[in-house]
Parts: sequence; structure tokens; C-alpha cells
Amino acid sequence: MPSSEPIIHIDSELCTGCRRCAAVCPVDAITGEPGEPQTVDAHRCVICGQCVQICTAYAPDHLEASDGLKAKRLQRGQLPSVREPLFAAYSTGQALEVKRALADSALFKVVQCAPAIRVSLAEEFGLPLGTLTPGKMAAALRRLKFDRIYDTNFGADVTIMEEGTELIGRVLSGERLPMFTSCCPAWVKHAETAAPELLDHLSSCKSPMQMVGALVKTYGAKQDGVDPAKIYSVAVMPCTCKEFECSREEMEVDGLREVDVVITTRELAHLIKDAGIDFVNLPDEPFDSPLGLYSGAGSIFGVTGGVMEAAIRTGYELVTHETIPNLQLDFVRGEEGLRTATVQLGELELKVAVVAGLKYVSAVLNQVKAGHCPYHFIEVMGCPEGCVSGGGQPKLLLETLRKTAYQARKSSVYRHDSHQQVRKSHENPAIIKLYKDFLGEPLGHVPHHLLHTTYQSREKNVSPISAGRKGGKL
Amino acid sequence: MNSFVIADPGLCIGCHTCEVACVSAHSADNMFLQQEENPDFYPRLRVMETDQVTAPVQCRQCEDAPCANVCPNGSITNIGSSISINQDTCIGCKTCMLVCPFGAIAMVPEFRGGQKQVQPGLRSNANGVWARKERLVASKCDLCEESGNGPACVQICPTHALQLVVPDDVSMDTAAKRAASAQTLQQFGGLIRF
Repeated sequence: MPSSEPIIHIDSELCTGCRRCAAVCPVDAITGEPGEPQTVDAHRCVICGQCVQICTAYAPDHLEASDGLKAKRLQRGQLPSVREPLFAAYSTGQALEVKRALADSALFKVVQCAPAIRVSLAEEFGLPLGTLTPGKMAAALRRLKFDRIYDTNFGADVTIMEEGTELIGRVLSGERLPMFTSCCPAWVKHAETAAPELLDHLSSCKSPMQMVGALVKTYGAKQDGVDPAKIYSVAVMPCTCKEFECSREEMEVDGLREVDVVITTRELAHLIKDAGIDFVNLPDEPFDSPLGLYSGAGSIFGVTGGVMEAAIRTGYELVTHETIPNLQLDFVRGEEGLRTATVQLGELELKVAVVAGLKYVSAVLNQVKAGHCPYHFIEVMGCPEGCVSGGGQPKLLLETLRKTAYQARKSSVYRHDSHQQVRKSHENPAIIKLYKDFLGEPLGHVPHHLLHTTYQSREKNVSPISAGRKGGKL
Repeated sequence: MNSFVIADPGLCIGCHTCEVACVSAHSADNMFLQQEENPDFYPRLRVMETDQVTAPVQCRQCEDAPCANVCPNGSITNIGSSISINQDTCIGCKTCMLVCPFGAIAMVPEFRGGQKQVQPGLRSNANGVWARKERLVASKCDLCEESGNGPACVQICPTHALQLVVPDDVSMDTAAKRAASAQTLQQFGGLIRF
């Protein structure tokens, strides 16, 4: 549902002014005096939701007795069945909207889940941190009456095909380098706000979520023989900014929204509980094909360095026409911060950098502005350790749990990858078929129409201008 | 002497993390998993907010505990280094709550296995409808004795505003103060003659 309403809020009735949210905010968007309720500057805010994750100030007793809590839940878009404490920092949800749509038999309901959901959803049902449950998740979504259970991981594989080809083209022609990834909407919004003059450096690829959205209403609709206008496309994301991304006006295919609504991991858990589904005892069920089949490369998009690793696995083989000797690229894996590496792709020495946490990106941006940035390809993720640590993930109440949880979720993602039969995007049979039957060549006419986008300057006091470039043959 | 937790209002930022940690430490379930209408969310310390300060207030584990001295059926005892309430025998008479000088005791519903407990005999009439009455018991800080890891609030506080005061520390501190005091007396050495 496109909306211009802000998504991240701090409830001034509940905020105690401890300012721990301001300390985690990577873009200094939270302002206020200590001890006073804080406010979010919607212009600067990148909607990453890290403030929502850290906040512990909650609704006091007197609100429980009155109808205050009920009103607050409604205002936050929470299902009435939710019984957890209400914290001061929150993101408005879409669970009510999705519940209503699920009951509408005239709609063809399609859902996709981001890579990081399957390693965290189970936490909301009391299973240990990082428990891997792709099968139970698919089963739960089917019980919720979704008609098709697709996967953002498939879109991640498509992203690698497009972005990898784009990167190789740019490196060979020496144009617009370094190239930044464009999967993380918080990073894209930050770039549009803080460095609009560098938007040409962003990959023109849409995020995997939007790619799946575009394919669901074209390729998927054709496969199922469904009218695209009847399709209600839902995305489950670990991220509070994805709702903002899906409502961007560019994110449209043939007059239809690519993704109609985004809910977070926590909201999916609320919906599952609301429907009385016994998640823990669900059987493992498969995703629907073709848009639910993915490679190991697609599944590692959920962690920092994942996009880079997936891109190198495919890029190496596209450039050298040889099999990559080792699929586990430890030099791009890691934690919060900036990592750099040099990868030998045949005769090409590819210099890459991975930024985990938006507060580390300004140094790189300054280098690019000054014209002496040595890297070819830079992955940027807004959240500290990639999507596993996203603002829409299960809330970690105690700081002491945070490192453990991120570690457990990350190793779960890597375990999922290592157990896949196909671990490279370009070897995913569903991807090969998609390009053969529908898309044609990467960066070709159809992909250009469906899978690439433009960016706009969000500099204050400047009217929005189109500052990006449509993807096209390089 | 009993140990106790005390807060420094100068450091407290009123973030309520100690309350959340307290609930988390005393609950087998994650608080996000509870299905009850009123979830088991009863911290044993409370962050007080006034115009001037914020600070969590909790049981001081008094040596001559007024709560234990008035408990009509011996449900409050000194176990280990803290004052302990036996919620199984507590009759919810609220006398302890009245005499506590710090307001550290609260009456809370009794939960077992995530379920709120009701009384076997007592019925309650609300708007003409008879229903079982829920069991309320006294609750207060127990220094997280069961976990064996020490008070969760102290560990979690982001500004280190809370500290666990243990008897040995107090003795050492007292001894140090006495020594310092003796030093200051030196200059008055001659006064003894007058």
C-alpha cells in the first residue's frame, strides 16, 4: 500500500529520553534532550529500525487499565491479539491490512520471504536463537491461505545475474566506478539524501524483493494464468525500510504495484499466532515453483558480505569461464565495519569492499567524492551485520543476547547455503529457465523494463530530480 | 548481613532496561511468546520518575525486615543473603506491602507454567457474573538467587547505575571510612586534656 506516512515513530508518551536510540542511529536522525521525549527527523531517517530494536521503555501500568493500550496497538497497526509490551520506539505495521486481504477470496495472494526470515522466525515461537526453519515457514504461510509461496532468494539469484553482468560491463568499460549494491533500501535512501551526486555509482538493479514483485505480476501471473491485477503481492522482510521501498513510485510494473505490502518477521509471527497455527510442530513443506527455487548464493544475501560473495561466485565464472575453486569466500564474511579484499578474476584484479552498518559508509563516500576510491565494487548494508540484524527481526530484549543472536542467525544462513545442491545463482535451473523463456539476456530489453530502476535526489530544499540511470546494455 | 541492589540516580537514564531484564530473568518463557490476556510482566523493581530524577527502586533486603516481622503466617524468611517471600504460602493479606518503607513489595497474579492461577474456593461477583478469583501474591526483588548469576538488572544497566552491595564490600568500606576518620582526629590529639 503506497503511503507517504512515516514508518518509524517514537511514542512521546512512553519515551523516557534515555537516548540509547540516538546512540544506535547511524544517520543522527533522532533529536531531543536527555530526559525528554525524542523525535525522529523523517528526512534524515533511513527507516532501518535499529532504534526500534534497542528501545526498552514500555507502556506503564496505568495504560493497561485504561483503553490506552488498545488504542496504541491499533495506531501501530498491530493485531488485537498481540499481547507483548509496547515499547516507545516502534514501526507502524501492516499485519491488519494483510489479515484483511487473506480473507478476501477474490484476490490471488502471493508471498515472498527474505533470506533472513527463515533463520529468525522460529525465535518468536520459543525455539533457540537462529533456528533454521524454511520448511515450517512455507507450511505456515500455506496455512495462512497464501495461494503461492515464493521466495526473495529467487530474486537474489536474479539480482546476481543482472548486477554481476552490470558490474563486469562497468569494470571492462571503466565507467561509473566504484559500483555500489542497491539491495538495501536504507542505504539507497541514505545515498539519495547524503550523496545525491553519487547516485550514478549505484547499481541500477532493483532489490531482490522488487524483482520478485515484478516477476510475480508478469512471469508468475502468466505461469498461473492469473490476471496480474488480481494478484496481491506480500513480502515478509527483516527490515522496516522495505515498506518504504515498495511504496516508491518507481516500483511499478505496467501500472501495478510490484509489491503491494511489506510485513516484518515479527508481524508474520503475530499473524501465525493470531491464526492459532502451531508453528513448532508444522511439517517441512516446499516453496512453490518457479519463483520459489533458489541457490545457496541467493540465501546468503541475508548476511553482511553475502551479496558480494554471491556476486563473486558468479562473476568469477562469467569472466574466466572456469569453475571457481572455492565457494566459501571467508575474506568477505565478518561483522560490523568495513572489510576490503582483492579478488583475482582471471586477468582482472577486482578490488571490493563490504560495508556493514551505515555509519561506516561516509568514509567511503568521501573517497568517491574526492575521486580516489580504489574499489570496483562496494556492498553496503544499513544494519550492523546485514539483514539478520534488521529492524524488523525478533526483538532482542537484552543487549547481552545481541552478539549471540547475530552469530547464531549468521551461521544458520551459511549452513543453509552449504547444504544447497546448487550454490551459484547462474546454475539455478529455475533462473536458467526464466532467462530462456522470459527475460532473454541479462540487462536486455525485458530485464531493463522489469528489474532496473532509477534514483532521485532527496537533498533538502532541492526538488526531486531523476539522478539515476535506467539500466541498459552497457 | 544481607546483600542488596541500589541505584545511582545520577547515572540512571530511565530506560527501563532493568525492569525488562528483571522480567526476563524470572520468566522461563520469552515475554513475546505469552498468550495470556494479561501477560506475566511484573518486574520486581520499578523505575520511578519524578521531575528531578529517575531511579529504579527495589527491596533493600532489610536486616530487621518489617515485612517478615508482620507476615501473619511466616511466609517471609531470611534465606541466604536475602529476604525471601514464599509465594506458595502467601495469603495476599498485603500487610508486608503496607509496612515496607520503600514501597518495594507489590501484589501480582500468581503464574504457573505461563498460566494465571485462580483460587479454588473464592468466587467473585462482577456485574452479576460469578467467576473464580485470581490468586494474588506478594512479589519483590530476590536478588535473582535462583539463577546463581547475580542480579540481572545490575548486569544489564547500560549506564552502570545499579550496583550489588555485598556485606564484605560494606565492611571494607566502613573500615576505610573509620581509618580516614582516625586520620582526621590526629590534628585534635591535644584536645583530650580539656
